[in-house]
Amino acid sequence: MASEAGTESTSTATSRRKRWVGEYGPLFTLTVGSLLVVVAGGLIQVSFGAFSMTLVEAWQAVFNLRVLSNPQTWEAFLLGGEVPEMNKRSLIVWNIRLPRVFVGILVGMNLAVSGAIFQAVTRNELASPFILGVSSGAGLMILLTLVVFSGLAAFLPLIASVGGAVAFLIVYVIAWKNGTSPVRLVLAGVIVGTVFGSLQTAFFFFADDIGVVQSAIAWTTGSLTGTDWEQVRMALPWTIVAMLLALISSRQLNVLLLGESTAKSLGMSVEKVRFALSGVAVLAAAASIAVAGIVGFVGLIVPHMVRNIVGSDYKQLVIGCVFVGPALMVAADVGARLTLNPVQIPVGIVTGLVGGPYFLYLMRKQDKMGEI
Amino acid sequence: MEYENRLQTDGGTETTVDSDPLQDGHRQGASETASELAGEDLVIGYRSGDEPVINGESIRVTPGEVTALVGPNGSGKSTLLKGLADQLAPDSGTVRLDGTDVHNLSTKELARKLGLLSQENVSPDSITVEKLVEHGRYPHRGFFDSLAEADRAAVDRAISLAGISHLRDREVGSLSGGQKQLVWIAMVLAQETGILLLDEPTTFLDLHHQLEVMGIVETLRDESDITVILVLHDINQAARYADHMVALKEGAIHARGSPKEVVTEELLAEVFEIDARVERTEHGPRIEPLRARHDDDETESGGTEVTDRPAESTTRKTGSGGRSDHAEGVSD
Repeated sequence: MASEAGTESTSTATSRRKRWVGEYGPLFTLTVGSLLVVVAGGLIQVSFGAFSMTLVEAWQAVFNLRVLSNPQTWEAFLLGGEVPEMNKRSLIVWNIRLPRVFVGILVGMNLAVSGAIFQAVTRNELASPFILGVSSGAGLMILLTLVVFSGLAAFLPLIASVGGAVAFLIVYVIAWKNGTSPVRLVLAGVIVGTVFGSLQTAFFFFADDIGVVQSAIAWTTGSLTGTDWEQVRMALPWTIVAMLLALISSRQLNVLLLGESTAKSLGMSVEKVRFALSGVAVLAAAASIAVAGIVGFVGLIVPHMVRNIVGSDYKQLVIGCVFVGPALMVAADVGARLTLNPVQIPVGIVTGLVGGPYFLYLMRKQDKMGEI
Repeated sequence: MEYENRLQTDGGTETTVDSDPLQDGHRQGASETASELAGEDLVIGYRSGDEPVINGESIRVTPGEVTALVGPNGSGKSTLLKGLADQLAPDSGTVRLDGTDVHNLSTKELARKLGLLSQENVSPDSITVEKLVEHGRYPHRGFFDSLAEADRAAVDRAISLAGISHLRDREVGSLSGGQKQLVWIAMVLAQETGILLLDEPTTFLDLHHQLEVMGIVETLRDESDITVILVLHDINQAARYADHMVALKEGAIHARGSPKEVVTEELLAEVFEIDARVERTEHGPRIEPLRARHDDDETESGGTEVTDRPAESTTRKTGSGGRSDHAEGVSD
């Protein structure tokens, strides 16, 4: 009897494990795959460039124990301060090339999660910070800061957030008619995005010298060129806050997917939750736009890719986005920095070139697209 | 003929369909613990400014029993249901749940006491049946709470009551329309509310699943204290499964009472504008629609979109025992 019961419990344990693997297996594979891409992309980024070194040398520089174990270096990197002495390779790797990879990681996860949240809030697969006007609002404020109020550059993420939030508020107000609907939100977003985009372009005419225009273009297409630990410090706190909020809100996001009337009859204050979650998404988008400009397609495509693999459960979807976003971003930045070496192109051009065709492919493959 | 608009229905203790032993048994035990829902002088419309759909009606449903709202398309039955569920805020009037104005309840408190199944429901295709039913526990969980033992038990009960245990791990997108409806009902059941509002739960379903759904309603009526209000298109179904019927026409309550009182040839002519024969059977009145009536021409025949309804076979096929003999072993 006892042994029978024993085998029975092991068999239920096995079946439970099987179910667990069936449920979380794809997510696990996805995260491991994404981590590998990030690590590989990061190593390529630190090895190649104007100052070339071999992969082994790059490895050694990255895992230089004297750098890693010195609290002073971390203080310098994360809080800002005097960078202690280190050898030339480590300095290049740790001070110039790695921060760019880290910024790419932060930007990728922010955009992906922001897009995922907007897609649940609007119940529309085609939603993203870009579609809903958030990017152009934030971008406009950034341009305004760079061209007119250049003294305020230190507060870029905050200013970008304000711009993004204002744009989204306008979108919400336009779409509001006894509550909002996914379609009206997207339409209003396109309208606001177009107007703000025009204003951005108008700024180019008022810029005095070509350098400002070039950096403005870099902003509006999205670029990681010249990013530094300063950008990491700028984006990191907001990223942590936004990612945590997104993760703990996954059940609310799941219930939002059941539609407004069901969510309401289940006891959710739909408009309040939508508004709060949109706030999280705006914050995430603004944090990335402030350090890298408007990188297109990542916020649209990553949630889509992840949903195709792990399904629509937001608990898994958000985690997937936190990993796949960085993978796409770091890989794209490898292309942006190295394909036309020594000329660097904005990473937004690469994501656009990769993202557009992928989206076309999805459109052809899926019969219906739009509603989640 | 116009029935008077009584605020009180015919009282919970009266036996309306005396030939049905199950109903008798149920009514004797009728329910002091069951929840009570009443709407008073409700004016409900979709947009302020427009003519309201429901104009100053009162309704009180008997606790622990099944009340069916019937009426032609556009008569306001779904609107009344949404008003009672507080999905549509009434322009005036109050809805009281156990004596409390529902506006004094938070949305979550209300959702713990009153469940609503809407006419149309959407879900992501890839969600599993179990996960969807788990969402029914939303009003019982705090922001950070994970699924507690009590929640799992409620989900299990709901799934077995809805008879969808075999679908538990399937993706909702792979189910038939009828199976999906059972899953949605299970989700509302998992809410474990004292009051359950169902908006046309059988419309668009095949006969098998209509019987499955009404079997669940029957089980709730006979074996629980849950107060059920449902909108039905099929008068035969309403007459067979409901303890009370409320007939609406053009936003006004035209008649209310037991099926025997409500389902009459006069009422069908007046409210539904059809000529029909009403037969008294052991399962209550059964109607046989004959033809549509027209205002201008009393004798015109044909054009009877109502005659091909599946309702007739619905009543004939089921025994009073309900669905179990029918449903078992049959799946799409």
